[in-house]
Amino acid sequence: MRLNGTLPAHLHPCVTAQKRAMLRSLHDVGMTTNDIAYQQLTNLLTGTLSRGEGNSCMVLGPCGSGKTKLVERCLSDINESPIVLRLSGWIQYSDRLAMREIAHQLAQQTGSSFLSNVDDVTESFPHQEEEEEANPFLDTPPDAVPVTVPGISLPPSSHLPALISILPTLARPTVVILDAFDLFALHPRQSLLYCLLDTVQSCRASPSTKGIAVIGVTSRVDTIQLLEKRVKSRFSGRTFRTAAPQQLEDWVKITKTVLSSKCTSGDHDNDDEWQILWQAAVDKFMSAKTLLNALNETFSITRDVRMLKKLITMVVTHISPRSPYPLPTHFTDAATLQRARPRFPFLYTLSYPALCLLIASIHADTAGHPVFSFEMLHETFRDQVRTSASAPIQINGGSIGMAFEALISAKIFVCAAAPTTTVVKEFIKYRCVVERDEVKKTVDKTGQINLKKWLNRAQ
Amino acid sequence: MNFNQPTHPGYEQFTQELSSLISLYPPPFIYVNDVQSYRTTTSVIDDILEDLSERPPSLESPTKIYHARIDGVASSQWGLDREGDDGTRWNENLDSFLHGLRALHTQLCKLGVEVAAEGTESYEGICFVIVVKQAEILKDALLELMAPLPCLGEMAQLIICVVFISQVRRKDIKPPLGAAPEPYFMDIGSPTKEHIVKHLLSQFSTLSTTDASSSSQSITPYHPSLLPLYRHFTSVLCDVCFPFTHDPQDLAYIAVASWPGYAKPVLDEHRRYLAAKANEMDLDVDGELEDGEEEQERRRQDALALKPPGEDTRMRLTRLFNPSLSAALEVLLPRLSNAAEWAALNEPPPDLLAMPHGPPLRPVIPAAAAPSDITTGTANAPVGTNSALMTMGTLPRMARFLLVAAFLASMNPAKSDLRMFGRGLDEKKRKQRRQVARIKSKAAAKIPQRLLGPAPFPLDRLLAILGALLEENDAETRLPAPEFTIPGEYTDMEIARVGVLGLINQLTSMRLLFRTSPVDRLDGPPMYKCSVGYDSVLGLARGLKIPLNDLLWDPV
Ligand SMILES: Nc1ncnc2c1ncn2[C@@H]1O[C@H](COP(=O)(O)OP(=O)(O)OP(=O)(O)O)[C@@H](O)[C@H]1O
Ligand SMILES: [Mg+2]
Repeated sequence: MRLNGTLPAHLHPCVTAQKRAMLRSLHDVGMTTNDIAYQQLTNLLTGTLSRGEGNSCMVLGPCGSGKTKLVERCLSDINESPIVLRLSGWIQYSDRLAMREIAHQLAQQTGSSFLSNVDDVTESFPHQEEEEEANPFLDTPPDAVPVTVPGISLPPSSHLPALISILPTLARPTVVILDAFDLFALHPRQSLLYCLLDTVQSCRASPSTKGIAVIGVTSRVDTIQLLEKRVKSRFSGRTFRTAAPQQLEDWVKITKTVLSSKCTSGDHDNDDEWQILWQAAVDKFMSAKTLLNALNETFSITRDVRMLKKLITMVVTHISPRSPYPLPTHFTDAATLQRARPRFPFLYTLSYPALCLLIASIHADTAGHPVFSFEMLHETFRDQVRTSASAPIQINGGSIGMAFEALISAKIFVCAAAPTTTVVKEFIKYRCVVERDEVKKTVDKTGQINLKKWLNRAQ
Repeated sequence: MNFNQPTHPGYEQFTQELSSLISLYPPPFIYVNDVQSYRTTTSVIDDILEDLSERPPSLESPTKIYHARIDGVASSQWGLDREGDDGTRWNENLDSFLHGLRALHTQLCKLGVEVAAEGTESYEGICFVIVVKQAEILKDALLELMAPLPCLGEMAQLIICVVFISQVRRKDIKPPLGAAPEPYFMDIGSPTKEHIVKHLLSQFSTLSTTDASSSSQSITPYHPSLLPLYRHFTSVLCDVCFPFTHDPQDLAYIAVASWPGYAKPVLDEHRRYLAAKANEMDLDVDGELEDGEEEQERRRQDALALKPPGEDTRMRLTRLFNPSLSAALEVLLPRLSNAAEWAALNEPPPDLLAMPHGPPLRPVIPAAAAPSDITTGTANAPVGTNSALMTMGTLPRMARFLLVAAFLASMNPAKSDLRMFGRGLDEKKRKQRRQVARIKSKAAAKIPQRLLGPAPFPLDRLLAILGALLEENDAETRLPAPEFTIPGEYTDMEIARVGVLGLINQLTSMRLLFRTSPVDRLDGPPMYKCSVGYDSVLGLARGLKIPLNDLLWDPV
């Protein structure tokens, strides 16, 4: 099989189709390690959906171990279509926000409004904090003021029990997913959790009520301990664990599966021709020593499948009709860029004044002043220009100040003290976060002899 | 791929990577890190997305792409700043934003069905791209968004790609405790000199197409015939400026400011040539007509057209303008002045090329931008060139004395006051700190106060120094006052005036002095700090005939 010739033009569409197929299958990597959790969660959901049970559980696993994926997969694999309420501790950071979101999602899925219910009640309590005093300074009567009242109009928390108790009475069973479950435990009095779990516990299968399942999703292992006693006693304590793949073989398999995804470009003959070429290229890629080493190295540092996916993504994006096959070097490049993250990859491309300031900061450090101001560096710099015969440039203008600001905005120079209003800009104290040998390497790389000499004097 | 993308020199690889990612199947979260040419990258990304979103769904990009750039969570581009059906505002907070996205999605899907019905069978739905530029600002302003924003797609159950663009590393703005997933990183290297030259050249063509419409009578510096000269100009400009900044936009700014002046001699020359030709033509207008009207007209046009100048003219221009280019960099990079002012001030004299060869043109530095030593390297520039000095020039005499006194109080150690200002019998025997030869020692060398910045001082010390200054430098200028007999009595009276305290307050409100102790503190004297720099104070002191350097403990 010849893989190094140029790709004939009629196969170019296949390249794009192949890239797309791979990126798409990356989003749907099969999970090997979470089969048990899948089974457990499916059983639990079946109980709620077909037998009207009230259930609660927690899906626990490290970040990126497929918790979200697991829940979504179980939900989509199940035949019935329950009402699904999705909440996240990151967004619904208070119970009242959560209530509003629940009402909104209920309205979306059932077609009848639950917010208006709550609104009606709100209006019947004139002492509510949302109620604004009539402003005597307004010319227009308050009714004419547009409804865009500042602040968020939220339902009062007193309506929480009423809202939650609606859930079992709906026409379909309900599944409540609480992502970042631990954050809900930080809400005052854990009212939402209490109401939900209380409703779950008192849910009895009967013709007039439907089941309800509450699924908490978290990566925090001590979440159960965060629950108050009355909440904990209502929680079933069932915990389904997810885990990232534990074997290097799993990673190899994932890589291979993704790369071997089948594509269609619309023309069968071309597709067949392409498939043969492609499969050979994948085999060659997978057997390359560099690839296996890079995979192994990455795997030994992180088990996070998302990292692997990023590396594969980068290999895929480098494929083009001109270089149509996956290359192990792209994978190793990706490992550097995505995983190892060079600390300051572009240090050596800094402008000349910025490099000078970096060196000046190293000099300041050597002189026992790790913390410096612009004026201090500028002085060091002027001295250098004055004493060195090969002073490269006139240096009194504005560019040196700009370089200093550039270094600050790149967070290479960071503030050493909280800024106050009584310090003039030139005297604010900074620290340099770049290490001496990083500067040394950088200066070596630029090949500027005079800078090198200057730096070497800082011993 | 055969679609024609906007070209951005140096961004070819990035453009290919980003557009194939987004058009095929975007990752949920992309982090673009660019230290040097941040603004260019932002506009490149805008162009890429603009280009992608205009494409109909095809095999190459089966999703319809919508994009928006946000600085907060509000996007008028998508109409997300309007209200949902239920009256809630979509940009109110993150969950109403998600509602907005979902509503928008349903709405667009309906449209999309129609698009799909039109025969593009590869249509596969909608993809939103949300670009957050200067993501580092989000960390200070909207920290609570840093964690959920990258997971927007997961939460909205849509295909959403969130792109952060930032000058700082992800590490510096990551929310704590691994709250957000790690992004797909894309690093932008610094542009090379060649890329910037290309970039500048591409700007020339856009500028010249916009003025091609104007009449041929008024030939502008962006006339297409000047392109070769412009090419030469940009490479000279980049030779001069590239070491100092790698930001294409900054260099473009300097180019815009300097090019009209650079091209003017050539245009002048052409105008003179036209004038001369016009005279000739007038003479032989009723001469040989047998050539045929058209042919003659064409030749006439040819003769009158602007031609690119020759090599020696180019060399001469470069020599003339070289100093002015580097001065433009020093002034325009920190925006001490603007391009228009620079161009106006540095317009070369008319018919420069017709004059005998002379020395390079001396750049004219705008007044506001000239610190005392920018070009000469000495402190001898005239007072009043600096904008701070200009405001200080209008201060009353006593206020100027106060500023000088405040500067001395900030820079000299309090213990030195007696030696510096005490007037013993043997006058002028001030002892400044001797310049000790720097001995290399393990201990950190002491840093002179002028580098550390002004130190705070109490009010009474300021008044005492003021008194000493007045006694020595102001006594002769006073009106004769026979009622004061004891030496220094007049001065004491002067500084005890309420006016002095009023002036101090005024200087504080002008931020020429900083008050470092809280206003409502009762114990202890109020403390101040001088915020005016050495150069400015030196100017003031000269005006008052105070020998500033003699009075500094640690002279510059
Ligand atoms: N065990 C696994 N096997 C294969 N792929 C996995 C596995 N675990 C996770 N993945 C992949 O990692 C991706 C991220 O998973 P997911 O978002 O579900 O993780 P998570 O546990 O919800 O993370 P977080 O704690 O950050 O919310 C999934 O798209 C999935 O493809
Ligand atoms: Mg998750």
